[in-house]
Amino acid sequence: MAHIVELSVVPPPLRSDWTPPQSTGKSIAPLVERRLIPAGSAYLAHVKRAVHNLSFEEHDKHAEEERKRLEALYGNGTNGEDDLGVGDEEETEDLLSLDPKEWKKQDHYAVLGLSHLRYRATDEQIKIAHRKKVLKHHPDKKAGVAGETNDDAFFKCIQKAMEVLTNSERRRQFDSVDPHYESLEDEVPTEKEVKSAKDPNSYFFKSFGPVFEREARFSKKQPVPLLGEYNDGKEQVEGFYDFWYNFDSWRSFEYLDKEVNEGSDSRDDKRYTEKKNKSERARRKKEDTARVRQLVDLTLGLDPRIKRIKQEEKEAREAKKKGKTGGANGVSAKQKAEEEKKKAEEEAKKKEEEEKVARAEAKKAKAAAANAAKKARRAARADGADA
Amino acid sequence: MAVSNQQNGSAEAPIDLANPTVVGINFGNSYASISVLNKQGNPDCIANEDGERQIACAVSFHGEEIYIGNQAKHQLVKNAQNTITGFRNLLGKKFSQIDTSKPTTSAPVIEHPEQPDTAAYKVQILQSAPLPLPASTTTTQQNTPLASRVATPRSEPTPATRILSVSEVTTIFIKSLLQSAEDFLGKKVQGAVITVPAWFTSEQKKALEDAATEAGVSVLQLLEEAGAAAVAVLSNPTAPASTTTSLSGDRTQLVVDLGSSALALSLLSIRQGLIHSLATLSDHTLGGDAIDSKLIKFFAKEFTKKTKIPLTVAPAPADSKQDQRAEAKLRLAVEHTKRTVSASSGAATCSVESLKDGIDYTGSINRMRFDMEVRNVYAGVGEQVKTLVSSAGLDLFDVDEIVYVGGSASLPGLDEHLAGIGFREDIVTPFSSGSVVGGGVGDPTTLLSRGAVVQAKLLAGLGESSEEEKEVKAAFHEKLENWTGVKVTSKSIGLVFPETSAEGQEENALGGQWIPLVLRETVLPCRRTVRFGVEVGEEGKVGFELWQVDESIKITLEKPPKFEPEDGEPEEEDEEEEEDIEVKDRIISKDELLGAALLESKKARNKKTTLEVQILIAEDGKVDVSASEVGGEKVTLAVPPIGA
Repeated sequence: MAHIVELSVVPPPLRSDWTPPQSTGKSIAPLVERRLIPAGSAYLAHVKRAVHNLSFEEHDKHAEEERKRLEALYGNGTNGEDDLGVGDEEETEDLLSLDPKEWKKQDHYAVLGLSHLRYRATDEQIKIAHRKKVLKHHPDKKAGVAGETNDDAFFKCIQKAMEVLTNSERRRQFDSVDPHYESLEDEVPTEKEVKSAKDPNSYFFKSFGPVFEREARFSKKQPVPLLGEYNDGKEQVEGFYDFWYNFDSWRSFEYLDKEVNEGSDSRDDKRYTEKKNKSERARRKKEDTARVRQLVDLTLGLDPRIKRIKQEEKEAREAKKKGKTGGANGVSAKQKAEEEKKKAEEEAKKKEEEEKVARAEAKKAKAAAANAAKKARRAARADGADA
Repeated sequence: MAVSNQQNGSAEAPIDLANPTVVGINFGNSYASISVLNKQGNPDCIANEDGERQIACAVSFHGEEIYIGNQAKHQLVKNAQNTITGFRNLLGKKFSQIDTSKPTTSAPVIEHPEQPDTAAYKVQILQSAPLPLPASTTTTQQNTPLASRVATPRSEPTPATRILSVSEVTTIFIKSLLQSAEDFLGKKVQGAVITVPAWFTSEQKKALEDAATEAGVSVLQLLEEAGAAAVAVLSNPTAPASTTTSLSGDRTQLVVDLGSSALALSLLSIRQGLIHSLATLSDHTLGGDAIDSKLIKFFAKEFTKKTKIPLTVAPAPADSKQDQRAEAKLRLAVEHTKRTVSASSGAATCSVESLKDGIDYTGSINRMRFDMEVRNVYAGVGEQVKTLVSSAGLDLFDVDEIVYVGGSASLPGLDEHLAGIGFREDIVTPFSSGSVVGGGVGDPTTLLSRGAVVQAKLLAGLGESSEEEKEVKAAFHEKLENWTGVKVTSKSIGLVFPETSAEGQEENALGGQWIPLVLRETVLPCRRTVRFGVEVGEEGKVGFELWQVDESIKITLEKPPKFEPEDGEPEEEDEEEEEDIEVKDRIISKDELLGAALLESKKARNKKTTLEVQILIAEDGKVDVSASEVGGEKVTLAVPPIGA
């Protein structure tokens, strides 16, 4: 860029009688020969202009391009280390005031600023996020800051989170009961919701899709077939339900164990707690399996694809049938005769039955008539006796 | 972006543009210093393994050992015949050109016995005996006894004489500098810029470069010392606000290099970073050694006064070995005294153990006394400065900035003396801007090497992929002559905004407000852009004339303001005639009208507008001026080239 010099002088207004004088056509005073000292970036620029035969504007453009190229190459001021997109999440007041003693209740992902990744965070990302957090919250950094001097609570939280998340077993235990997803688990759409939706079809996929995506993380078998879309074939749909009815989950609930009271020496106490924890784990696991089963049941019941597939199958059948009737001309006479015979038989049967019914009715009518005559005679007799 | 690791490749690591491993070496006659780039890419002067930032240019041979640097200086006391100093100035000179008549305190220069007309030094060393043969490993014949497996003990080293040419000594010394830098960096040095004095001939430069190449340094450029100083000051990353505001990109700089063996003065014209020298001067009689001589005379006198032991120094009598040794000891000791005087305003001590006849000496000298003792040196520098500036056809008043270089220039007394010889009152010196203390940017002892490394960084970033890029690179080193010759303007050019002169006021010689655009001594082609506010007249017009002007300095004598004593207390004895004070003013007078232009202001607010004026002067003297309100229409003005 052209270097612009800002001057602080302010020339006064133009003299009113001033008119631009005639150009004299004179040149500047003769030039003097000098020898440059070959030093500094200005000399480099001077030589570049001379060598490449550039004007000032062209050189400006060149320099600008070069600067941009270098910037793109080396990154603007950064040392080019990729932070894998972690470590710049906002830290809320609540998060910073976490109590390290209550570490079991903290959201380790949120503490490390990984709440947008959660179980998807790679080990590398966790490492980088931890490093960034430590750089920011190390107690040594806060030593000089006025106020509380010994405030390393959040730092302890960070260390605890790191401890949990870098151990793959403990991380799975935490992932099993990740508070973020637990709250979501209750939000499974109900039957009513799906049915009352404007477009139940798309609502079904929209609402159940993410649910299965979420649940898929617990599967021991990967990849997991996901809900898919309306136009999936029968095989896919069946595969999906097959998988989910036989869902094999690694989810476990050790994380929620009640801790054995460290202070007590009582073996019985310990055993009791352990037993209780074990049963509690089993119960929760059972509940979870039931929950998944229920979810799959519900999905199956509401799945518009099942209806569609049935419909399609029926249509296929009917189409088949129709195809049969449409092409019946060539069917053998025997068959026809048989059919007619069948028809005749049926008709005979019908007739017979009809006759039967008629006979019975006639019988009934006869009896009724006899009854009526009897009644009449009795009445006449009674009348005669009265007279 | 991850760079793919090549398993079987041996490609050199790419040069990190932000921080190439380059060094800047200031190779003086008496002292050298090394600078590297720190993590931020700023220059830093580093200390060698002795913790010295100012490394003495001395090489001493003592028995089997070689001492280099400040350790070698201490050898001057007892082992002067085997200690080599002051070899840089002899580089590239033939033996017949060297004046050997002066007595020396170190190893004398002799003619090389084998190479004709080559300067050399003869030193006594102990040559280590050749290593014994390795123990025999061959299986022996049956009846012969097995050879002993124990290595034969080394025999005593034998005394020998070694003849070293000047360039060999230089190579040894530069090698040690390079070693220090590599130890500090932990990496191989890719290139170096070495400073040379302005008076070095091309043979001397070549000899230095050869010696450096021999030492394993890839020389990027041999940079003139004044240039290195200017670069160091210009590239100053942490310039305090005060210096940047009072100094524009166009200035005249005086570089005062007071080393230990010589004074070198350069008057530089810096125009937007382009540096050219207006005049140079060097004086080998002034320098730190002269100051040393004055000081040791002073201390010797003190010693004699205290102890009644006669001691004659500087020069010591040739027949008194004791006095010579005492002088050498004092010379080493006053170095410390000088540094103390430079660093603090209190008294500085000088202590020597067993100065003469086993008597210790401890004396002190305060700043005042010190300045009095060495006043002659200061005055000599002042005289040379005056000579230099007048030889360039300028006045001391024209100098905008003084830059000090070299250990002796760190003395505050020198700055005080120079300030009193007629420079402008607002002249910028490292002392006035406070950048000397604490290893600041103006630190005279490290300035040169820092400038050299800044230059090295610039050169390391140059590409070599195309013919033109190679040409650009060569412009710094091999093909200097092709590019350094330039034409400069001889007179300043600027704008005059005509104004109504107020009644009764003295008529302004210019008839308006003067805004300089291109100062004299500006390298062509050049471009300047200025922006300033301007008041708009009644008709909404802005007009200006382009003038070439003459500049001169007017000296008027004024009576000093008299102190009016209050309460009528009569002044007593100091009724001397007070001298007139010289008051200097810059006078600008019109020389040639080059053109004029009128601009209609459309964006004026409160009768004010901001004007942007760009002037381009081509190499042939063609001038193009374009003026516009910021973002507004342009008015152009052209002046034909010279001779058209």
